[in-house]
Amino acid sequence: MKLSDKKVELASRGNKVVYADGDRIVKVFNSEKPVSDVFNEALNLARIEETGIRCPKVLEVSEVDGGWAIATENVPGTTLAKKVADDPKHEKKYMEQFVALQLEIHKHTSPLLQRQKDKYARMINGLECLDATTRYELLMRLDGMKPETAVCHGDFNPTNVIVGDDGKLYVCDWAHATQGCSEADAAMTYLLFALDDQKTADEYLDLYCAKADTPKQVVRHWLSIVAASELSRHRKVNEEFLMSWVDVADYQ
Amino acid sequence: MAKAAPVIDSVDALTARIATMRKAQAEFAKFTQEQVDKIFFEAAMAANKARIPLAKDAVEETGMGVVEDKVIKNHYASEYIYNKYKDMKTCGVVEDDKAFGYKRVAEPIGIVAAVIPTTNPTSTAIFKCLICLKTRNAIIISPHPRAKKCTIDAARIVRDAAEKAGCPKDIISWIEQPTLELTNELMHSADIILATGGPGMVNAAYSSGKPALGVGPGNTPAIIDDTADVRLAVNSIIHSKTFDNGMICASEQSVTIVGDKTYKAAKAEFAARGCYFLKPAELDKVRKAIIINGSVNAKIVGQSAYTIAKIAGVEVPVKTKILIGEVTSVDPSEEFAHEKLSPVLAMYKAKDFDDAMAHAERLVADGGYGHTSSLYINTDETEKMDKFEEAMKTCRILINTPSSQGGIGDLYNFKMPPSLTLGCGSWGGNSVSENVGPKHLLNLKTVAERRENMLWFRTPEKVYFKRGCMPVALDELGSVMGKKRCFIVTDQFLYKSGFSKRIEDKLDEMGIVHSCFWDVAPDPTLQCARRGEEQMRAFEPDCIIALGGGSAMDCGKIMWMMYEHPECKFEDMSMDFMDIRKRIYTFPKMGEKAYFIAIPTSSGTGSEVTPFAIITDSDTGTKWPITDYALMPEMAIVDVDNMMTQPKGLTAASGVDVLTHALEAYVSIMHSDYTDAVALKAMKQVFENLPSAYDNGASDPKAREGMANASCMAGMAFANAFLGLNHSLAHKLGAFHHIPHGIANAIILTRVMRYNAAERPTKMGTFPQYGYPHAKARYAEAARFCGVTGKDDDEVFEKFLAKIDALNEHVGVPKTIKDFGIDEKAFLATLDDMTEQAFNDQCTGANPRYPLMSEMKELYLDAYYGREPRSYEDE
Repeated sequence: MKLSDKKVELASRGNKVVYADGDRIVKVFNSEKPVSDVFNEALNLARIEETGIRCPKVLEVSEVDGGWAIATENVPGTTLAKKVADDPKHEKKYMEQFVALQLEIHKHTSPLLQRQKDKYARMINGLECLDATTRYELLMRLDGMKPETAVCHGDFNPTNVIVGDDGKLYVCDWAHATQGCSEADAAMTYLLFALDDQKTADEYLDLYCAKADTPKQVVRHWLSIVAASELSRHRKVNEEFLMSWVDVADYQ
Repeated sequence: MAKAAPVIDSVDALTARIATMRKAQAEFAKFTQEQVDKIFFEAAMAANKARIPLAKDAVEETGMGVVEDKVIKNHYASEYIYNKYKDMKTCGVVEDDKAFGYKRVAEPIGIVAAVIPTTNPTSTAIFKCLICLKTRNAIIISPHPRAKKCTIDAARIVRDAAEKAGCPKDIISWIEQPTLELTNELMHSADIILATGGPGMVNAAYSSGKPALGVGPGNTPAIIDDTADVRLAVNSIIHSKTFDNGMICASEQSVTIVGDKTYKAAKAEFAARGCYFLKPAELDKVRKAIIINGSVNAKIVGQSAYTIAKIAGVEVPVKTKILIGEVTSVDPSEEFAHEKLSPVLAMYKAKDFDDAMAHAERLVADGGYGHTSSLYINTDETEKMDKFEEAMKTCRILINTPSSQGGIGDLYNFKMPPSLTLGCGSWGGNSVSENVGPKHLLNLKTVAERRENMLWFRTPEKVYFKRGCMPVALDELGSVMGKKRCFIVTDQFLYKSGFSKRIEDKLDEMGIVHSCFWDVAPDPTLQCARRGEEQMRAFEPDCIIALGGGSAMDCGKIMWMMYEHPECKFEDMSMDFMDIRKRIYTFPKMGEKAYFIAIPTSSGTGSEVTPFAIITDSDTGTKWPITDYALMPEMAIVDVDNMMTQPKGLTAASGVDVLTHALEAYVSIMHSDYTDAVALKAMKQVFENLPSAYDNGASDPKAREGMANASCMAGMAFANAFLGLNHSLAHKLGAFHHIPHGIANAIILTRVMRYNAAERPTKMGTFPQYGYPHAKARYAEAARFCGVTGKDDDEVFEKFLAKIDALNEHVGVPKTIKDFGIDEKAFLATLDDMTEQAFNDQCTGANPRYPLMSEMKELYLDAYYGREPRSYEDE
């Protein structure tokens, strides 16, 4: 595809640049990004769209400047994260919308999405910063995860939620989507909040557990797993924090 | 020396090792108890010798626990396990009861997959290897990566000693490089899983599809009641909680103390013995250090109190025994409420015992379902102890016992089996709820030989017979038994015609006061029995005489039962049974108030010697057939002087009834040599005496006497061998169409005999004595005894049927049900009900052929229309 001159750079991270290009959003990856990852993200998005979850439609996957790019709809609106930042007084209201949206997503199934358990196992196995014993403990804990099939976003945080100009909520960035255990997905969200601010994380967990009618320890049970998987993103800043969550013993 | 076995570091290597182990185990399975016990001994000795180096290795490798305590665990795992199971039979026949033909044969299960935790690596390895050796199983160990070296060392020591003592090679194996993949593969390929580990591991074990003995987490709460010996309680808890730095899963996680006074005393004692009470500011630091997001921080597991305090940033004396947090919440959001696997203890104050129990219940529910709970109390407080036992959903409930040492058994209680794998029951998702031992690693085969049912022969203690015996028999009431008050039960006819007068005269002569109830009607009702019983209760007899036919004797038995045991319910007493010796309802003992005498005045029912009585509730129409040897009269007086004036019809009907009794008892699946003898003699006497008794009545007293004795003997036969289908069918003909009982029996008798005689019945009756269908041979045997001859059983059987038909004809029995005057429409309308009720009749069960309802219906129809005889073979 070709991007127009009117394109506006929205964000630039590691191996990708995100542009708004008219009514399209284009994620352009550099050549280091495996092609299969790009197609997988597009495939995830297509699958999610088919479930009926509101998300930007995938429009095109093609080469751009030696790398690959995904073009999706540009949903007119603002991210929930920005809404909260602009209007902190109503943080509670936004949190409620956010949790309700996540619970709504968990009600959907998509039988061909990859399995959450497999994804976590792969990520833990690839972690060189953990010794074999700790990996073994984590894998053992993960092995006890029951086979569930809820659609899990895998990176559900307010920057990935768009409050559309039409007043509806849209969820974007489905690169980490899986089917699996909804509590583990909530654990990931809790972790993402906690990386920034423990207080917001606790508010999230209180609300999520109350709305989902789930004991907190069921969500917490997966925190060491999601912390380990987050470690595999190799973000140096968080490493010490994440490591402190990983090294827990299973009861014997 | 043989080459060392290849290291297991891949699924292929594991599969190959399991294949070798299967061969070794097949050989091991042939070992005798003696060989196995020698191996068990040598292995236990070797493990015990190595207890100190193994303990040192474990602490060094895992960085957890206390060497000296691990020495105790290794010592325990070898010595206590050996001592407990040294004499246990685990090979081949372990139980042999020749009298009952019951044998139990122990066989190994095969390959045991053993998952071993970091907390007790060497001792658990020793324990699991030893119980596998004792049971001739092979064991393959998946150690925890953090403790793999010492776990494998322990297993190697046991293996080497076992092999030296003659054990096949490769019976004990291990995975050198444990991974989740290998552990899962191991669990799939083994025959049973002995898993010890966290919930993840236990889940994996149970989802592997192989039977698993897994254990779960504990969260042992301890309660110190205000009646407890506080010093003993506190020091027991310290002893237990500090043991191996709190890593035994049964270790106390919290202590709840009842009342302020006890709380204060306990706190002082804890402090005096070197425990540290965390100050409020320190509490939070320790909370954060011990539990991360609801899980135990791996860094504090098995560490000393001092080290944990240091990790938390809290200054405590180096020698601190336990860190105690005084907390109030039992909710999982309170870190101290969790299992901590370290010398950190939560302490709660309860306002009373019930409050303390509520704490304990919650703590168990949130983290230790099925594991262990502990109570310190004065053991005179049985009420509280009962409450505690009832409330705790834990498989071990320890009283005044340090729970680490107490839970594993045999240290503080010597009946509780020693074990390092503690079952947590269904509450903990386990298949066992007790301490795991060798018995859980055996397949026990039961060899059960066919045995015949025990039988008995029961009759009244005295049966008087011979003409004129009644006064002689009654004399015993006065001269021998010293009876004072006698109650006579009879019917109006006998009363008015002076039969009872003869008894009363005799009683007067002996000075025995008496009263008489003379209102028994045919087919006696419950209401009638109640009236009689009221009179009886007012009179308070020490002796009851029932005089009459079946009705008076049955009614007398029922009145006797109500008089002796007014609390008994007819609903209970009339419940059907398969085997009278196994019936659900137990009859009370009779004869405590009155001695029961039966005097028959007709020769038919045999009720004077049977345990049966039938009574009808006239309000509801329900017929209660009551059967139990409790109802057996204590004395029967068969005096033909009482029977001389029977009318002709009664002679006929009761006479053919006697023949049916004798024939059915003879072919019953419960017949015995004893019942056979009386049955044969009874039927022979019927053939010889009934025609004349019928024709000549009182003018042939010999024939009358022959029939009287025949009736009584047939009664004895069916009192013990029971009856059969003929009676079931006849009962319903009586109930639905009012055909007199004896006549109903006789009309269908030869058809039922043909039906029973079939050599290929649809189904035969179930009783161990009844080996194969052979009713025809039995009938032929009876026929020959009655004088029938012929070239084979078939001919004899046919001639016997003809003889019976002739007898029936002689005494005026109609040939068909229709001939009796039963309307066809009425008969057909009731046919289905009659069939089902006859099928359900108590008599059906003893029949040699187990009837189908469709067949019974055909029998009814054949007998109604008088259809041509047929074979009734299942063709």
